[in-house]
Amino acid sequence: MIRVLTLLAALAVATPALAQRELTVVAGGGQLQDHMRRTLFETFTRATGVPVRDSSYDYNVGPIRAMVQARNVTWDVVLVEAPDLIRGCEDGIFERIDWSVVNRAKFLGGGAETCGAGAIGWGVSVFRDLNRNPTGPSNWQEFWDTQRFPGRRTLRRGARMTLEIALMGDGVPAAEVYRVLATPAGQQRAFAALDRIRPSLHFWTGGQQPLELVNAGEVAFAVGFVGRTANAIRGGARLDLNWDTLLFSYDYWAVVRGSPNAANGMRLIEHMTNPAPLRALTELWPINPVTAEVANDPAVRARNPLMMSNHQDRGLRIDTEFWLDQGPDLEQRFAAWLNR
Amino acid sequence: MAETLPRTRAALAAWDGRDLPPEAAFAALADELAAALEERRIGDVSQRLNFEQPGMRALLLRTARAAPRLAAPYAQTLPALDARWSEAETWKLIRRAGGPTTSLYLLRAVDMTRTPDGEIRAVAPDQAVFVTLFLRTLWVSLIVTVACVVLGWPVAAAIAALRPPWSSAALLLVLVPFWSSVMVRSTAWFALLQREGPINDALLLLGLADAPLQLVGTRFAVLLATIHVLLPVAILPMVGVMTRLDRRHLQAAASLGASPWLAFRRVWLPLSLPGVAAGGAMTFLLAVGFYITPALVGGERDQLVAWFIAQFLNRDVNWGMSAALSVYLLAMAGAVIALLRVLTGGVTPAGVRA
Repeated sequence: MIRVLTLLAALAVATPALAQRELTVVAGGGQLQDHMRRTLFETFTRATGVPVRDSSYDYNVGPIRAMVQARNVTWDVVLVEAPDLIRGCEDGIFERIDWSVVNRAKFLGGGAETCGAGAIGWGVSVFRDLNRNPTGPSNWQEFWDTQRFPGRRTLRRGARMTLEIALMGDGVPAAEVYRVLATPAGQQRAFAALDRIRPSLHFWTGGQQPLELVNAGEVAFAVGFVGRTANAIRGGARLDLNWDTLLFSYDYWAVVRGSPNAANGMRLIEHMTNPAPLRALTELWPINPVTAEVANDPAVRARNPLMMSNHQDRGLRIDTEFWLDQGPDLEQRFAAWLNR
Repeated sequence: MAETLPRTRAALAAWDGRDLPPEAAFAALADELAAALEERRIGDVSQRLNFEQPGMRALLLRTARAAPRLAAPYAQTLPALDARWSEAETWKLIRRAGGPTTSLYLLRAVDMTRTPDGEIRAVAPDQAVFVTLFLRTLWVSLIVTVACVVLGWPVAAAIAALRPPWSSAALLLVLVPFWSSVMVRSTAWFALLQREGPINDALLLLGLADAPLQLVGTRFAVLLATIHVLLPVAILPMVGVMTRLDRRHLQAAASLGASPWLAFRRVWLPLSLPGVAAGGAMTFLLAVGFYITPALVGGERDQLVAWFIAQFLNRDVNWGMSAALSVYLLAMAGAVIALLRVLTGGVTPAGVRA
């Protein structure tokens, strides 16, 4: 008991020191973050003298909300997905970006949001194992054609992206997808399209699963994150990555509201989205920059033919606003459909 | 909600619910929405209402953004901005959502909802998911529990019958998988069960199957992997009870003329029941909360309640729904454990010290 009390007392003494903790940046972890540390975080410390600590999370924003509500903010700069950013901004979970510190003009369209600065793009598209399936669907309508291309297909478990894909599989042009999906008839059409090829469908939950399923021959065709597919190809896997089936979005850097290091956080965001450190990052890892100068740099593009920036004009940008409005309803209907 | 729109709520309290609310409600709403947007606390109310009625978030944000430009009488300018403000249903929704407590999440967690008039009814069939989910969770957990106890009992009895150096070695064989990660064991089952995995290879080689069987993504795979993962949890309490049983009871039974089978049935089995109850209860409690294993080896129709709780908690940040689902799950687990206590006739897990 006394030992516990001593421990508590020690913690109480240690707490004020936490208030002056180092600037903490949190991203998705893995190898990408190791490269970010060298090219983005450490160069910031070298340029400004401000030490940066980095940590990783699994893109679940629940904990960020909890720390803001508890007024015990231990993360400063976070890499977040678009819907989480917009919702978090409305709810006051993230600070508004200080555009006098961060240069707003340097981003691609959609890269500068009220509370977030575009960090990296991500997308999903169809891929297959060339050894097992020399031929395969080249667009969504062919993906839906189970006669011509028999075999199981895997999609992400969830309404977002799946319903867009279902409509395109049913022949809706990409430019029309969100207009159609906003109507009850369009939603019915998407679910009817899913019903049609349901026996051939499998749904994954983790980002590594599509590769595992294709490698194991569990499915013939998979919709998976292009970054992971591209890395597997670079690692020697004989995969065909189809860019005509690209759906993409951006991740953003945001500052957690109530962060004691907010000012330095803004400076860090400005640094991390600047061309020089980003270009250094693209040399180590084929990320998809949202900073226009790097994304459009012919040298960067030529070096990484599998970079999404090379193919983005063929893809459909996921409509964040649409999913914020319709998401709760459509996700539940999708869950009900899955269980039927 | 109550904090975001206090004056709107007050104005709506006086409304009779027919036609449209008074101008005061329109004016208060425009004013309070604009303030909530500016102070960045509109999320609470917009998410809450959008969950009940899709499209409400867009309506509220649009209204909040436009409000500073609008002028009185708001009873005309708001409907001009969006026709939904001239529908009594929209206002009833806001009035009902205004209270400090709501039954919305508890109702939705069992596929029920309220109409704008406050009537409780089932949600549309294409929305219903949670009742099936609870029944499935209960069913899967019960099968897993029974299987673990039935498979674990002989193992526990064998370990209890061994002499010291061998009993520890046997116990270690149970403990090593118990200590290894659930994730690793579930992933291993994926590797074993896949189309080109060793199980399918063996079936083809032995001629028991003509083509590889689809095992991954089936209920069978979920049950198999979950039973394997939870088996040590069932075995350990039973070993604990059985090693402390006095073997002289069996000798006494034999000396009184009981056959080995009768001695087992009338003496050994009843004495081991506290261990069975404890092992079964532990297994069941863990099984109802399982989600990694079903997510890895199961198909779409094999997901359990826990997966949805995690999804609502972490991804959708709909804490109302995750709390409601948790409450029902806890109640379900509690009810089964209570039933187990009644059925085992007071032989409670606490009776382990016997």
